[in-house]
Amino acid sequence: MSKKTKDFVPQGLVYIADNIISKKNILGAPIEKKAKWAKGIDLPKTKETIFFAGCGYQYSSSLESMMSLIRKTDKSIIGSDFAMSVVSFQKKLGINTAEIYRKISTKENEAEARPLKDAVKVLKLLGLEFGYLAEDEPCCGGLLYYSGLRKDFAQNAQETYKILKSFGVNRIISIVPSCTYALRTLIPSCVQEYDIEVKHFSQVVLENIKSKTMRFPDEVKVVYHDPCQLGRYLGIIDEPRKILKAIKGIELVEPEWTAGEWATCCGGGGGFEVVFPELSEMLAKNRAEELVKTGAKIIVTQCPGCIMQLKDGLKALKVDNVEVFDLAEVIAKAMEA
Amino acid sequence: MSSTTEYKKEIMDAAHNERIKLALSRAIASYRSNANTALKKFPHTIKLADEVLEIKKKAVGEMEKLAQQASEVIQENKGKAYIAKTAKDALNIIDGIVGKGKLIVKGKSMTAEEIGLREHLEEHGNEVYETDLGEFIIQKLGSRPMHILSPAIHVPKEDVAKLFSKITGKELKPDIENLVATARALLREKYFKADIGMSGANVVSSDTGTMFIIENEGNIRLATGAPPVHIALIGMEKLVPTLSDAFKVAEVTWRYANYTVPSYVSMVSGPSKTGDIEKVTTYGAHGPKEVHVIFMDEGRTELAKHPILRQALYCLRCGGCLYECPVFAFTAGHFGDKYFSGIGAVWAYLLSHNEEKGAAMAYTCLTCGRCKIRCPMKIDVPEMIVEIRKLIADGD
Repeated sequence: MSKKTKDFVPQGLVYIADNIISKKNILGAPIEKKAKWAKGIDLPKTKETIFFAGCGYQYSSSLESMMSLIRKTDKSIIGSDFAMSVVSFQKKLGINTAEIYRKISTKENEAEARPLKDAVKVLKLLGLEFGYLAEDEPCCGGLLYYSGLRKDFAQNAQETYKILKSFGVNRIISIVPSCTYALRTLIPSCVQEYDIEVKHFSQVVLENIKSKTMRFPDEVKVVYHDPCQLGRYLGIIDEPRKILKAIKGIELVEPEWTAGEWATCCGGGGGFEVVFPELSEMLAKNRAEELVKTGAKIIVTQCPGCIMQLKDGLKALKVDNVEVFDLAEVIAKAMEA
Repeated sequence: MSSTTEYKKEIMDAAHNERIKLALSRAIASYRSNANTALKKFPHTIKLADEVLEIKKKAVGEMEKLAQQASEVIQENKGKAYIAKTAKDALNIIDGIVGKGKLIVKGKSMTAEEIGLREHLEEHGNEVYETDLGEFIIQKLGSRPMHILSPAIHVPKEDVAKLFSKITGKELKPDIENLVATARALLREKYFKADIGMSGANVVSSDTGTMFIIENEGNIRLATGAPPVHIALIGMEKLVPTLSDAFKVAEVTWRYANYTVPSYVSMVSGPSKTGDIEKVTTYGAHGPKEVHVIFMDEGRTELAKHPILRQALYCLRCGGCLYECPVFAFTAGHFGDKYFSGIGAVWAYLLSHNEEKGAAMAYTCLTCGRCKIRCPMKIDVPEMIVEIRKLIADGD
């Protein structure tokens, strides 16, 4: 670590970067936890096309617990930087703070990885064949890139590519926007021979849905929140809207000014949430308010970070009659009905 | 407390300040609506912006040549031109022209702000009046600007009334029209008593040496027209090859600054002159007899060599990005140094050599990219921010 890294890179980002390098996931969680959600879902490992689950949803309840811990300390006089140094130090001693905090603060979340289970269900219902690398799935390393640790990112990119190729992967269906952008744009910029086609879940769904009837169980107003990396970075703006409009019972509404490429960030971008935890929560509240003003009862988005932020935002707004779902959950519901 | 800790505290204090949020939410709504109207009324602006981007990309690569050419033309026009390598050189040149104990009226200029010109002149025993209303308020409050076009964006009218009451010794109500009239009355005589008028410029054409200065209040017309001497301090990235290029840059600038049509655009190419008596050219008719133009480098030509970070030099300073930044909406210019928000981090880190502040700002950016959607030059701020973070973390 250079002197500048030590002085200027925020503690929270150093912590995450270290997790990716040492444990191959952003939370530093034990590897066997990663694929827990997929138990009973029978997916082969070696397949030309794979479903890439990403860190965000696989560890969502641990992430939520950690963020809640960080936000609490940020509002106290201790401040988040100090808290992050303690967490980093404890990790060196082999103590996984986030995991311990999750265990004492929450029950094992039943809804954990719901979007992943539903995405797999939807893709299967569409008749697609694909695999899943489970505990062998590499971390895209996106946060290394956004932290500025380009050398570590480049090394991780090489390793990621090698792992993917060792399982014979040629095509990826990815669900987390940040992983999708990393796999599609950032990693290829470091790996010359990169030859993997990467598509986002919503693109694949739209291509294969054809005349399938979808009906939501209730008549409901839905607003769609564009994740920054999916909308502005990858230009995937129309696809989710087309899918939502095709679902009977759903009325899609849009916020004033702030839809599509003009969508307001949920406040959880590029690691911002661990650098400014409290401000990040204020931004989440602000975005939730913009979306709630449409009168929608369901907020649909496609990013584990956005979902966590918007849920926190609704809590801060004291709104308890609006739910937040990943698009995959909504499609799964509409296909079942 | 380290300056990073102080900065974080400043950011959070601002974020908890309801007045800032209120002022900004009004400003954002009004900016979006005005910009929308302006672009609907003049839809060619969007294509023109693409053309301007090409002009800027090329011009930024040849700033030294353009500065040289513009200087020669300005000398031919009987003005005086200088190329300042550093901010210190620029201040030395200005000291040489100004001397001490002068009365100076000044138009708003971000480049002047960048090098702390007003404070410098005051320290050298000059009396300096900021004439832009927002900047005047900031000067009198002893505060710093919070937006590049609306420096007093964070100050509500009640606070302005209190401030002006103190200055005039009269009890003033928070009536905006009356407050504007008060500022006008306070500044009016200064223009005519002043020894020197100062300004920046929005764009300069190298072939004619013409500075374009866009404004609405009319203070710059007076400040650059009434006193006998006009000094202009201009960042070298403002230079473009031709007069017709400059017109394009100017129009795109004001439209994205949400002025459908600005009240005034001054074009100054040299000192005031007349040939009305026997066709003998005589200088200093009604306008200034002396015009001094300083083109300042201060890291710009070096920055232009960087394939990604050179984008910072394309900036027209329309201020549009600031209204789209979700962090700025909570903190105003506290998320800033000399310049604000994401792009401000690049200036702080590389041009103002304030590494600690620049680094802290670089990690305050969400990299959400909405600024890029607004930017007429499509400046990729997230890309630049990640590049700055790379310089910080990898050290190369």
